[in-house]
Amino acid sequence: MRSKEPFFWITISCGIVIMAFILIPLVEMMTAPSFAMLKETIKDKDVVRSIWLSIYTAGLAAIISFVFGTPLAYLLARTEFTGKRLVESIIDLPIVIPHPVVGIAILSVAGRNHWIGQIFSDLGIRIMGSVTGIVVVLTFVGLPFYVNAVKNGFESISPRLENVSRSLGASMFSTFFRITFPLAWRSMLIGIIMCSARAISEFGAVVIVAYHPMIAPVMIYERFEAYGLKYSQPVAVWLVSVCLALFLILRILTLRNKQEA
Amino acid sequence: MIKIENLNIHLSEFNLRDINLNIEENEFFILMGPTGAGKTVLLEALAGLIKTKSGNIIIGKKNITKLPPEKRGVGIVYQDYSLFPHLTVLENINYGLHFHKIDKPQAEKRLNRLVEDLNLSHLLKRFPLNLSGGELQRVALARALMVNPSVLLLDEPLSALDTNFREEIRAGLKRLHKNSNVTFLMVTHDFAEALSLADRAAVMNNGIIEQTGSIEDIFQRPDSTFVANFVGMKNLFAAQFRDTKALTGSIEIELGHKPANSHGYIAIRPEDIVLSKESLASSMRNSFRGTVTGVLDQGLYYEVDVMVENVTFKSLITKSSLFELGIQEGIEMLLSFKSTAIHNF
Amino acid sequence: MKPGNFCKLVLLTATGILLVALATQGFAAPKGKVVIFNAGSLTIPLAKMEKAFEAKHPGVDIVREAAGSRKCARKISDLKKPCDIMASADFTVIDTMLIPEYANWNIRFATNRLVLCYTDKSRYADKINAGNWYKILTKKGVVWGHADPNADPCGYRSLMVLQLAEKYYKKPGLYQKLINSRPKENIRPKSVELVALLQTGNMDYAWEYRSVAVQHGLKFVELPDQINLGNYKYDNFYKQAVVELTGKKPGTTTKKKGKSCTYGVTLIKDAPNKEAATAFLQYMLNPEGGLKILKEMGQPPFIPCRVPTAEMMAILPAELQKLVEIKK
Repeated sequence: MRSKEPFFWITISCGIVIMAFILIPLVEMMTAPSFAMLKETIKDKDVVRSIWLSIYTAGLAAIISFVFGTPLAYLLARTEFTGKRLVESIIDLPIVIPHPVVGIAILSVAGRNHWIGQIFSDLGIRIMGSVTGIVVVLTFVGLPFYVNAVKNGFESISPRLENVSRSLGASMFSTFFRITFPLAWRSMLIGIIMCSARAISEFGAVVIVAYHPMIAPVMIYERFEAYGLKYSQPVAVWLVSVCLALFLILRILTLRNKQEA
Repeated sequence: MIKIENLNIHLSEFNLRDINLNIEENEFFILMGPTGAGKTVLLEALAGLIKTKSGNIIIGKKNITKLPPEKRGVGIVYQDYSLFPHLTVLENINYGLHFHKIDKPQAEKRLNRLVEDLNLSHLLKRFPLNLSGGELQRVALARALMVNPSVLLLDEPLSALDTNFREEIRAGLKRLHKNSNVTFLMVTHDFAEALSLADRAAVMNNGIIEQTGSIEDIFQRPDSTFVANFVGMKNLFAAQFRDTKALTGSIEIELGHKPANSHGYIAIRPEDIVLSKESLASSMRNSFRGTVTGVLDQGLYYEVDVMVENVTFKSLITKSSLFELGIQEGIEMLLSFKSTAIHNF
Repeated sequence: MKPGNFCKLVLLTATGILLVALATQGFAAPKGKVVIFNAGSLTIPLAKMEKAFEAKHPGVDIVREAAGSRKCARKISDLKKPCDIMASADFTVIDTMLIPEYANWNIRFATNRLVLCYTDKSRYADKINAGNWYKILTKKGVVWGHADPNADPCGYRSLMVLQLAEKYYKKPGLYQKLINSRPKENIRPKSVELVALLQTGNMDYAWEYRSVAVQHGLKFVELPDQINLGNYKYDNFYKQAVVELTGKKPGTTTKKKGKSCTYGVTLIKDAPNKEAATAFLQYMLNPEGGLKILKEMGQPPFIPCRVPTAEMMAILPAELQKLVEIKK
């Protein structure tokens, strides 16, 4: 594609339209509150608590996805079996299901009218209106993003490397930790970022399972309903800023490592 | 050393059937065959990377059929060498030591010897990313031999290298094999490689083994039309045998001995056919007059097709001989070959 | 024709056209969208009323948004969301938050009372009764909750019931003890959400209106009239309960006194579709129409509906005046 020919200009224009589409509403929202308003908002303990809750529940959801999703992603990348397409579609289901439906489904299983909920209740584990419940919901919606990112990562590593490792005496475990993992960790990081991003922004499913404790998106909605735009925008600005900063730091860390290698 | 008994492998689109193979200790064994014959499948099955349906694989005295790859003592070098990109050359070579208990002085001694033999001392701190094909191959060999496997499998290790250096590298490989006590099993397409490196060989086709034997046997005395075609015996004819003669088409060919069967095939290598204008004062029993029907440029040689009565023989001749004899299409020539050059089966 | 006569002719024709237009307006069937903000506890009865009304007037599309009554009022006053009718579970919400800027009058149309709901799967379901409920709620492991007082009248009413219980059963400190056994996580912005929590077994007991319990087939404990906010005869006892709520701005508060549950409805001043909305109110406040549905669904209506003063009666739309009496 040579520059200055019509095809090039079309691609540039589409790019500009998309950037504008994304940036204009966001810039509008980020610049609406005054500095005084922002300062007042961050001084509110409830606001700080809800943003912190959002961050660490999303982080927990990402860690759980990492622990359980990695072996599954490896299985999907390395093996063929009947029903594999079905399994992959099932993993994608949480993306498709409307968010309130996700919340209702989880609530129905978590209550004492369901045998699983009965077990939880007997063990003293509480899902409704608890951090546990929030993490369950966030993991549900975030898992597909992690599994798909890491599956792609594993697929890009030649199985021959693992074969050679085994021929040299390494068990499958050793091979995974010495060969596969060092080559795939970047895609795992991407998976964690994608999963956390999805989890932090979740609202419709969480609000059904837990109104309190209040994650940031619920607080933004509650403030909007009760007091209007003026009092909800600053919370949104803080949440977006904190998340942006976190993701930026994460990306910079990985970029630096790439240059070292 | 390696005994493969009635091995069967079922893959989704391909099967290996009733593979039987016996490879001696410290032998350099070569596996040949067209693409898709199943050579790599057999190799990976030996390494334990592919599941087998039935049959046994015995290495030394141990039946390793059910063992996982890490317990077999079988090394593998792939066509793309598969060096670990995130480790240095030295770390690659020493990788296997994490899993084998070798005392330090012995390990160091082995490392130094391999590094010297394969000329790797200046590369030890480098990463695989920037190495040439030949360097990668030597590191892969060092890595595999570092753990002293009983068997080393090589999947077309030379095909990714420049032809210019192949002879040099081939010699190096041969030297490496001689200096170790490891049994080498190598897959190759290249006949020159097979002829120069192999002690014995096997030809595979479509999931079965067509012929096993010494490399000479395979090239000079193929026992099936497939193998004959494969090894380039271009003059392959169906024939009836009567006494010591073979009748093909309307020609009678003197074999010099009496075959056991009454009909079968005869095959003659193109290189063994001599073309001349007049009768040769030699002891070639078979001499026929024929017409040149084709002159084909094969690069380094010319293939000359000569039709005798209704049988076409293909012969190989150098460019200079071509001009000397003034060979062109349509002229009459004398075609001769020794009885000993004829292989019948 | 003389200019003067011409002018008269034009004026006459214009008036004639206007009269015809007005007349046809009066005779035209109501049509268009009618937006109702209603209390959560009215959801099921209003749904049935909507069906019946739309069957009779197919050109009308009734759109309902349920929320806590205070939240409904805020949507109108703060967020300026377009609305035709506001139906509140506590008529005082209309008086204090909407009149006089957004509404002029307030018709009281039904009562309700608070009960303690549960299912047969709730803990101690087989033991609970009107005498021991306050002991069971404070038992370890029992999960119970109520609506958010700042959003839903059912929320602050629940708290009032608890305060009145302390006085009625003569157990000082009971209110605080009960509050201590109910963590913030058991509060939901809309009381009707608690029903789903009961039904899935995520909650054992919830404070709800009797009508809602009946409509959802829940079991419930009936409480003495002195504390269930259902009988206006006990208004003097009820007003002992006081709950503090958030005011208009974050940081400000207002106090609410206990009073019997009386539902109110009004037509918003800037209603986009006054005509169709008034037609619906005609149906809703009719003893054979909406009020009958309320009665069937366990919510005792006022028959006829009431306004407190003659002044308010005077400003009601003509069609509604005949459905209402003046009673405090």
